Amino acid sequence: MLTRSDFDQACKAYVDAHRNARASGVKDYPAGWIWTEHPYVLNLGYLSRTRHLSGTPHPRTDVGEADDFNHPSVEEDDAVWHSTEESLTCNQYVVYSATFGVPAFYFTLHDRSGSPLALEQVVQSALFRPNTLPSPDGNTFAVTLPHSAFSLLSQGDHPTLGTPSWYLHPCNTAEVVGEIMAEVEEGRTNLLRCMEAWFMVLGNIVDLFAGE
Amino acid sequence: MTIVQFAPFQSLVQPAFWHALTELKIDVLRLSDDEQPVTATYTAGRAVKDRETGQEIALGCNLTASGDAFSKTPQVPQNAVAATGVFKNFNTIEDFKNADKTALFNQVADEIWKSITVDKSTALLNRFLVITYADLKKYKYFYWFAFPAFAAKPAWEIDGEWLAAENALGAETLSSIQSQLHASPRPFFLVRTVENQTTIAPVEEYDTFFANVPPEDRVIGFVDPSALPTNPGWPLRNLLAYLLALHPETAQGVRILCLRDVEPPVAGSTGGWKSRFGILKQSGTGAATTERPAAVGWEKNIQGKLGARVADLAPMMDPTRLADQAVDLNLKLMRWRILPALDLEKVANTRCLLLGAGTLGCYVARTLMGWGVRTITFVDSARVSFSNPVRQPLFDFEDCLNGGKPKAACAAEKLKKIFPGVNASGHNLSIPMPGHPIPPASVEQAKKDVATLEKLVDEHDVVFLLMDSRESRWLPTVLGAAKGKIVLNAALGFDTFLVMRHGARTPGTDGKRLGCYYCNDIVAPTDSLTDRTLDQMCTVTRPGLASIAASTAVELLVSLLQHPAGIHTPAPPLSSAQSAADSGSSPPAYESILGLVPHQLRGFLAQFRNVPIVGAAYDRCTGCSETVVGAYEKDGFEMLLQAFNDTEFLPRLTGLDKLYEETQLALDGDDMVDADEDDF
Repeated sequence: MLTRSDFDQACKAYVDAHRNARASGVKDYPAGWIWTEHPYVLNLGYLSRTRHLSGTPHPRTDVGEADDFNHPSVEEDDAVWHSTEESLTCNQYVVYSATFGVPAFYFTLHDRSGSPLALEQVVQSALFRPNTLPSPDGNTFAVTLPHSAFSLLSQGDHPTLGTPSWYLHPCNTAEVVGEIMAEVEEGRTNLLRCMEAWFMVLGNIVDLFAGE
Repeated sequence: MTIVQFAPFQSLVQPAFWHALTELKIDVLRLSDDEQPVTATYTAGRAVKDRETGQEIALGCNLTASGDAFSKTPQVPQNAVAATGVFKNFNTIEDFKNADKTALFNQVADEIWKSITVDKSTALLNRFLVITYADLKKYKYFYWFAFPAFAAKPAWEIDGEWLAAENALGAETLSSIQSQLHASPRPFFLVRTVENQTTIAPVEEYDTFFANVPPEDRVIGFVDPSALPTNPGWPLRNLLAYLLALHPETAQGVRILCLRDVEPPVAGSTGGWKSRFGILKQSGTGAATTERPAAVGWEKNIQGKLGARVADLAPMMDPTRLADQAVDLNLKLMRWRILPALDLEKVANTRCLLLGAGTLGCYVARTLMGWGVRTITFVDSARVSFSNPVRQPLFDFEDCLNGGKPKAACAAEKLKKIFPGVNASGHNLSIPMPGHPIPPASVEQAKKDVATLEKLVDEHDVVFLLMDSRESRWLPTVLGAAKGKIVLNAALGFDTFLVMRHGARTPGTDGKRLGCYYCNDIVAPTDSLTDRTLDQMCTVTRPGLASIAASTAVELLVSLLQHPAGIHTPAPPLSSAQSAADSGSSPPAYESILGLVPHQLRGFLAQFRNVPIVGAAYDRCTGCSETVVGAYEKDGFEMLLQAFNDTEFLPRLTGLDKLYEETQLALDGDDMVDADEDDF
């Protein structure tokens, strides 16, 4: 269990320790996080970063009825390279769960247009390790993760920004992180280690190096 | 030599951009479709490893529009450069479709050309155009970006091949360029290395900066949003147009650095510097021209065709859809966590008719909504009065003004305010009652009212009796029995309540038929005194009682719905009620997955005690006996009219003299009879 101020310190320590990817190229802890405080209110700070993931464009309704469209006149142009690659933008956040006293992982995932992805696509995206999440099976707002430190992937408002996000429910996190912490050096309460342990647990489900 | 193919800009829109556009449209632009300045950013192109193939995939030549695109002082992320553009929002989809796009495009292209030839500036080389139509009701945004670029005729060609810049220029030079750009980012720059000293300068200083530098030592660089090895990004096109217009000798060969490293590569990692280098030539006339070349650059849509794109943010922004999902989520959590077998759909699809929109009606409706019930219909004939709001949670002070709103419609409206996804409606209707004779002039109206009520009962699965008088429950009791509906009954005393479910017309799975409100009146169970208080329709009751009774009624319904036998669920035997709930493995037939499904509950607030009671159906009951229901089915309104007009009709029909006396007694307490007067 972390207190709010433990969380703040742990995050700041983590940001300092893992500012850049490891020189050796070993991908152990995800880097590039930024610590942000709420502009007016104390104790609402969080970590954030943005990752771009590759994705296949999914069929969607563009402004289809092109017939009644006043199209611009377009010059012939050979000097152009055509791409069909879809790029997904993933905003990732680590916030403090006051209820469970642990960090919680929030994220948004949207396509080029800014449209949010449906749960089915979220589950299949490169953000999650293959086959770690069950199919939402028609459910549009949540999936359960039966045998995991994270019991549920669900929708909720970002606790500081108030914007709709996806999040992994943190109810079993303390237990699992606690087990790992018990393994590390005894008698030393190390907030950085705690944060690293949490990222390790999270990394079992979320590919924190996706988009690198 | 091969033609250089440029990777076009691809718009990448953050949801925050659409939020900002919504605000701009509502607060500032309103109906104006004037052009607005807009800012977007880009940074060096990046590639990621595909997790399936392991191949490097270029992430596209992104121009990112984010939340501060309309801000006067937009934040440019570290290592990114800004591009300014023209934004135009149309008020209708027709305007958007019919807009003269060629004219808009040419206007921007002209601006860029003027900036090159007149101001001799690179400031507008990345100028872009974005047109939108915002359907704010549906949270849909139609948009189309254009990135005007001047097409060189003939096209630029690459002399040799694109090389790794590290090989062409050396890591030291790159490192020096990178750190100088990091300190003062600029999209386009000149590079010279004199006596091992690499310096960069704005492109505008071409003549002075390159004055004594031989052509083979001159490098012109740009921050390259492309990550493709042989395709430089879009900004290079207008940079080349600039060079061709102002420094036509560059056509003979210009050394181009595509800067793709916003930070030095991590030591020891694979890949090293990502930047590319190439020498470009153009076999034109070599003469400076002031005539604007043709421009290209409308963005293609997802299908790769020329056309607008659309962003659908409804799943993220539409409050109705968000509420809809959130309502379900709470319930599903209950299923996932506690009761995997819970049939929530069955509850949600149960259509509930609430007779009475007073204290009980309000609380019952809210609890039903909590269970995800989506169809809730109120019937009440009263208006909201000043005494109501403090006890009836769907009403407020405003509702009492000007004589008060009709309660049923007002309650339905409030439910929709709480949760727009609910299908709620209200009917202003008085329910005819036995012992309240109908004057001949009103018979037609009464007939209509009965027909309306019959139709409503037909259209719902459950009827809640939540009125404040005993007699008004009679007609719906008969209708519920005749039509085989689940009938839930709640009544309040001062500090006691009754919540019960009416028995089905046919016996339950245990062979016994459970009674209705009226059966159990007659066949008083153990405590006749308690029984009597319930019948006294007090206008005063302890304020917390209504919500307790209302919640109990709804929970009783849900337990019943979860029992496979439904309306025929047997009542738990009284003696075993306690032990059955505690006992182990196989639940007895009278238990649903939520536990017992009692027939009646009597609550005593003075003792904070609830007592389950079972009352069998009475074959001479004035409400649910076969005699009464059969007579209604045979004679319809005629039979009902007799019951309303003639107090002796029902006792005579059922052969119950005793009932006559009881009814008489009840009617003596005259003020409790009028439903319009007050609710508890």
